Amino acid sequence: MNRTSQKRGFNALKVGSIWLFLLLLMAALSLVAVSVGSAGYSLGEILRAVFSGEESTIKVIIFNLRLPRLLLALLIGASLSASGALLQSVMRNPLADPGTIGVSAGAGTAATTILLLFPHLTNSVPIFAFGGAALACALIYMLAWKGGVDPVRIILSGVAINSVLSAYNSLLQLLNSDSLEGVLAFMNGSLSGRSWQQVKLLAVYAGIGLVLAFACIKSANTLQLGDEMAKSLGVKVSLSRVCLSAVSAFLAAATVAVAGMIGFVGLVVPHISRILVGSDYKAMLPTSVLLGADILLIADTVGRTIVPGMEIPVGIVMAVTGGPFFLYMLRKKGSVRGNQG
Amino acid sequence: MEIRAEKLEIAYGDYTAVANMDLRVEKGRITSIIGPNGSGKSTVLKGLTRLLDYKRGAVYLDSRSLKDFTPKELACHIGVLPQMHSAPPDFQVRELVGYGRVPHQKWYARHSEEDEKIIDWAMRATGVWSLREKSIHECSGGESQRVWIATVLTQQPEILFLDEPTTYLDISHQMEMMRLIKRLNRENGIGVVMVLHDLSHALEVSDWIVVIKDGEKYDEGKPCDVITPKMMREVYDVECDIVRLPGREKPVIAYREIC
Repeated sequence: MNRTSQKRGFNALKVGSIWLFLLLLMAALSLVAVSVGSAGYSLGEILRAVFSGEESTIKVIIFNLRLPRLLLALLIGASLSASGALLQSVMRNPLADPGTIGVSAGAGTAATTILLLFPHLTNSVPIFAFGGAALACALIYMLAWKGGVDPVRIILSGVAINSVLSAYNSLLQLLNSDSLEGVLAFMNGSLSGRSWQQVKLLAVYAGIGLVLAFACIKSANTLQLGDEMAKSLGVKVSLSRVCLSAVSAFLAAATVAVAGMIGFVGLVVPHISRILVGSDYKAMLPTSVLLGADILLIADTVGRTIVPGMEIPVGIVMAVTGGPFFLYMLRKKGSVRGNQG
Repeated sequence: MEIRAEKLEIAYGDYTAVANMDLRVEKGRITSIIGPNGSGKSTVLKGLTRLLDYKRGAVYLDSRSLKDFTPKELACHIGVLPQMHSAPPDFQVRELVGYGRVPHQKWYARHSEEDEKIIDWAMRATGVWSLREKSIHECSGGESQRVWIATVLTQQPEILFLDEPTTYLDISHQMEMMRLIKRLNRENGIGVVMVLHDLSHALEVSDWIVVIKDGEKYDEGKPCDVITPKMMREVYDVECDIVRLPGREKPVIAYREIC
């Protein structure tokens, strides 16, 4: 082994080739994603249409429908995975995902309330969803604070808040069972009918969030050594936890606002990345980001093409395929681990 | 450098674990803190290193209160190996040892040439150089304990605090650990403060022993003055003789036979 890989602590060559593979896969998947759909095109047709100066249906479909959707899927996958990866370090718990800190429940509550009680504000659902997510998360941390934040207390207050909010959601849905279409679409996370406007919005938020996430790599790594060890290395443990959680919540809330609730990506992708490249966030976080983008793009493309004439929300595709795949990885590689012990 | 506690009192909620503790530990010597289970040994160690906040009293590093140090600043002077620590099992030894540089670095910095030299030195000093490319889960209990010592050494502390460094180790690795600690002290002048359960080890390697009973200091002094049949009876409720053997500098503890 050469000197460089020694210094990095992980096998740079192996990690590099995994990144390269994921990038190439992303390019290939993108080509597939723009060409398949209710109207299918060959690569030749697409290239000809794109590079010819004149307007055409192909061009409109690709530039106004498929391209923004493709970019959204990539951004969402990347953001949710990064969010989950950070959170697993904060909680030292393999089951932590953005739902744990109330992001999903908070956004869901806000969105349901708007869609059912104030339908004239429907266009502002993203803003309210983002706000709801942030509020629920802040509330959980306030309840868990006791001279510092302890992961177990965060998880337990999360469970409490989640159950209260989901009870409220269910009640609201029961009382308005005739107008649930919008709510269901939100709850199951869908990219249907999204446009450049959402892409631009999420690009800004995800961009900021991902930069912050990468800035957190060292903290996330140090927290993996245990609270007392991190503390004795001069790390302000509670402050790190709050900052990492805030970045994680920000990323998750931004995606929920744009696409509704998409589960499982934030949970599964970091685990698969850990199996692929190890626990060092320097290798694991970028892997999660790339892999998450790829996986969500696959899920969305499958969701909109598998049953002709019908769209299956990406959230449902993720949940149905993600679960078994996760179990397969678990059995194959032996252990999916948290950071404890 | 010295660390001095004055009238230290530490409580967990309503329960006062340590009270009225005056203590001084200094660079250059090995201090062992002994006492029965639950007597507050580890709590004292955590109080001296600010892993736990104290309720009353004060702790000073030289003449400056511990509370006036930023966590990073403090971590450049003292290193603490807590009893509970964990690393992701796939972390490489070299990577883990490198975390000792965290307090000396800016949050974004990578290891400098000097950092690398210090990491190499710490791995050599603790005898884990040959393990540097292994992952933690490939190390035995004794090896991984030495890797953790190397990690703390990489902080370049003037005083090293170890909480039961030999727990879970077999006798051969316990002896190896004690030799390592003694060598670090003698050759590198690093002060060591450790919580120990094994009184023979304490007697053997310490320059100074502090005995703690029920959260208060029972006695302190040179090993031979402190470890006596009377202390053993009063603190541990154990009968024993302290025996001098020909050819040995330090006495040995002969416990009363179990019948």
